[in-house]
Amino acid sequence: MQVVFNDVSVTYAGRVVLQPFSLRLTERRIGIIGLNGSGKSTFSKMINGLVLPDTGTVTTNGFDARQQAHEVRARVGYVFQHPANQIVLPLIKDDMALGLKRLRLTRQEEERAVSDVAARLGISHLLERRAHELSGGEVQLAALASVLVGAPEIVIMDEPTNQLDLRNRNMVSRTIRSLPEDIIVITHDLELLSGFERVLLFHEGRIVEDGPAEVVIARYQELVG
Amino acid sequence: MRTPTGSILECVPPAVKLAALFSISVLLFLTGSLTLLGSAAGTVLVLCLLFCRFAVLQWLKAWPLLLTIAAVALWTAYNDGYQEALVLLLRLGTLSLVATVVTVTTSIGEFIETVTRAAIPLERLGIANARDIGLAIGLVMRFVPDVRQRYLAVVDAHRARGLPLRPTTLIAPMVIGTLKSADDIADAIDARGIRTNSHPQKRAENA
Repeated sequence: MQVVFNDVSVTYAGRVVLQPFSLRLTERRIGIIGLNGSGKSTFSKMINGLVLPDTGTVTTNGFDARQQAHEVRARVGYVFQHPANQIVLPLIKDDMALGLKRLRLTRQEEERAVSDVAARLGISHLLERRAHELSGGEVQLAALASVLVGAPEIVIMDEPTNQLDLRNRNMVSRTIRSLPEDIIVITHDLELLSGFERVLLFHEGRIVEDGPAEVVIARYQELVG
Repeated sequence: MRTPTGSILECVPPAVKLAALFSISVLLFLTGSLTLLGSAAGTVLVLCLLFCRFAVLQWLKAWPLLLTIAAVALWTAYNDGYQEALVLLLRLGTLSLVATVVTVTTSIGEFIETVTRAAIPLERLGIANARDIGLAIGLVMRFVPDVRQRYLAVVDAHRARGLPLRPTTLIAPMVIGTLKSADDIADAIDARGIRTNSHPQKRAENA
């Protein structure tokens, strides 16, 4: 991935959410950690233009998040903190196909794309199910599938193992590790980040540590006490 | 919406089914003849039993709807007499059964596609965005069970705290929760590029 933040800052309702910073992300596995309200989600939402900075620019794989939002969003998939809210249509297969409408594929091409991604995530059996019938882990995977079907280059996942039991957590964790796409994970589940190439630690709207997972996690634990 | 019914009506294009529903509803309200309405109701019932028995079962399960129709018919009987009540009962009964047939034999995806196509003339006139209309209908269908689950959760929370169930204390958490979900859904729709004319917004939150 090539995400460049150039002198970016964000304020909201008079409160500084992110202090000015410049940064370049190029690794394939990036973790984002920090306390609640430290600016993690705002930071990640700038990558696909869901949040615009007050100052500076964000470019994602060569596209400006402000000027070329559609190109950016076609390349960056986002799995939200509450994945149930991101499944827009009742049936999982319909929801997955919905994200393909902009590509104007034939019905057969749509069905093939949906079944390929479902098979890849091992959720083919969920395609005919309704979102409200699924378990937490299944909803998480269904939301991920609805993002992957659009063939993004980067996938951002906001607290993907939050509120999952151990079995579902392991299932989602294994899936994340197996994805060939570039991944950015925002998480409080520090185990999930083992083997990640780079981790950013946010604290009070600043990036206070940036480096390999072990170093940054140790600093986080020290910071929290 | 659709559970596989094995009915031949699943093969009928959704546009044809929706057009038939519209035509039948117009015809039912054009006539006030009990003979014609009774014949129509009988014919629809027989056809449903022959070609889509599942729809009849689903129609019978929709007791709140049937109860509402019965209540309206009783009120009409009280105000305007039994003949008017019977006319109303036959019209609404037939119509609700035909609507159930369309519902159980059409997937939401097909339904949205059909509505979106039907709305394209409105888009050409600059009145509305066709995909938005289709999406809005899909969202309504998608979130009915969610609103119900939210209601049950709020009721449980009241019981757990020993609070009496009052509309005033039920409505506030329901509305707040629903608005929060709506915000998340709007973000998800933007993030997935489902609406092609959406624009980035400055929207930081408690993140």
